Amino acid sequence: MKPLYLVVITLLCAVAALAGAASAAPADVAVTSSSLDPPVLMKGDTGTLTVVIQNNGAETVAIRSARLYGSGVVPLSDSYASVGEIGAGNSKTFTFTVRADGGEGTFYPQFVLDFRDDGSLRHPVPVQVENTALSASVVGKPDAFAAGRTADITVRVGNPRPNAVSGVQVVPQGTNFTVTPSIAFVGGLAPDGSGTVVFNLTPAVETDVTFQVVWRNGINTHTADLVLPVAFGEDKRQADPVITNVEVTPEPGGYRIVGDVMNAGLESARSVLVTPGAPATPTDPFRVYVVGTLDPDDISSFEVTFKADVGTTEIPLVVEYRDDDGNRYTVTRPVDLGGTTAAPLDEREGEFPVAGIVVVVLVALGIAGAIYYSWRRT
Amino acid sequence: MDTGFLRVLFNPGRFFEARMQDEPSLKVPALIALVVGLIGAVSAALTANLIVGILPAEAQAFGVLMVGFSVVGGVIGGFLGWIVYGFVFYLVSMVFKGQGDLKRTLEFTGYGFLPQVFGGIIGAVLSYQLLSGLTIPTATAPEEIQAVTENLTSVLVTDPLAQVAGLVSTLFLIWSANIWIFGMKYARNLSTRDAALTVGIPVGLFILYTLITLAGWL
Repeated sequence: MKPLYLVVITLLCAVAALAGAASAAPADVAVTSSSLDPPVLMKGDTGTLTVVIQNNGAETVAIRSARLYGSGVVPLSDSYASVGEIGAGNSKTFTFTVRADGGEGTFYPQFVLDFRDDGSLRHPVPVQVENTALSASVVGKPDAFAAGRTADITVRVGNPRPNAVSGVQVVPQGTNFTVTPSIAFVGGLAPDGSGTVVFNLTPAVETDVTFQVVWRNGINTHTADLVLPVAFGEDKRQADPVITNVEVTPEPGGYRIVGDVMNAGLESARSVLVTPGAPATPTDPFRVYVVGTLDPDDISSFEVTFKADVGTTEIPLVVEYRDDDGNRYTVTRPVDLGGTTAAPLDEREGEFPVAGIVVVVLVALGIAGAIYYSWRRT
Repeated sequence: MDTGFLRVLFNPGRFFEARMQDEPSLKVPALIALVVGLIGAVSAALTANLIVGILPAEAQAFGVLMVGFSVVGGVIGGFLGWIVYGFVFYLVSMVFKGQGDLKRTLEFTGYGFLPQVFGGIIGAVLSYQLLSGLTIPTATAPEEIQAVTENLTSVLVTDPLAQVAGLVSTLFLIWSANIWIFGMKYARNLSTRDAALTVGIPVGLFILYTLITLAGWL
């Protein structure tokens, strides 16, 4: 073979080899998967979009750049300006930071892969945006609140979103109350999952308590508020001391009242005290009568002694008691003195006054002397 | 030493013996009964004034009348006591065949009332102390007035001061009884024993009744 032929054949083979390699590359590169973290964004959320491509061909493919064009979402990270080659059978991952600036719905930003030699690959990546927030509700609270009385408040947090959320916690907010715990941690919530937390709330005045639910959707923090109005009212179960069978007896120095006190409520009344209120002035021996604990339907007798000014026709009997939390309550029951009683003001204690005894003795001595004298003179 | 009718307090025998020489006269005994009545009227007025306080405002005019009636009643009571004691002694002494007219009996009974003047003064002071220290509520309905009155009576009877007043009154009654014994002895011409029985039986019964009341047995 002549040398010239050999050169020609060699050049043809080289050209053929080069031409074959260049024509096979773009068609064999494909997007194999894409993912978003968090899987479902909320409006304004920032997420991470990951796209994986694979070279399914037998030849290396040269890639110039990889870009993401927004549709409903805004790419925050830079494009891949110089990617390089991807070997046969190899895969490559591209990550973009995106922000959901549009409304709700499913958006399809374009992932564009430019090949170095010619052509490009365009692949729409689905991005779901849904603004549904976590829901919170009060599932347990007392019938009525009272100042200084501790109440158990049960809050349930549910996740109606299609994706899981993390770091869920409930934070009570407001003034004029104390609460324990100050923050309740729920943790992660799967879709359609829920968590329950209990607070011990002690209001000082009527107020609104806001339970703020805080959670994270990916790296984005969100909140939702639940407002619980705290209005004071009468607890249907609370202790209800009732005074009956009252008997007022005047005695030297004042009055004595005996009667019965009964708990007509559904809860125990603790540390029950019975005292006469103003204008009465408590006196010994029963300035105050300590009844102690009165369980529901329990009854106990009491006895108090006091004195009152002239013209006093009615005095209040004050019943003090505490609930299980130690909160103090008072109940006042007027007792009529008018029309039934009269009593000496000064305290003679029912005993013979010393001055009276002296008078009697002196008079007796004087009269005895007079009588004796009269018979002696006869 | 002649100190007039005051001699009857310490020397009733000689006093009545001397009085027997004169005609019976009721002037001084009536004066004594009047003084006793006036002192009793003061106590009665204090009590009535206390009860007036119970009445509602619209019935206060009635209360003034009540005080007036109490004063008059107190004065009449002084005379009534004198007359009643005189008649009782006269009747009882008839059992012991006593002789002497009723006027003389009333005269000497009246003199025997003299210690009641002192007893009445002390009793009035004690009554004032007792009544001024009472808490009296105002009542409106008749049943309330009745309840307060009953309660007031209970307090007055059981109060130590009231018991002191009762004892003092009894002591002065004993002094009067002593004088009456001498009086009946001369007025009804009785022996000392019969005169003592004439006076002792009615007065003793009255004192017994008073003591039982003070002790709260009635």
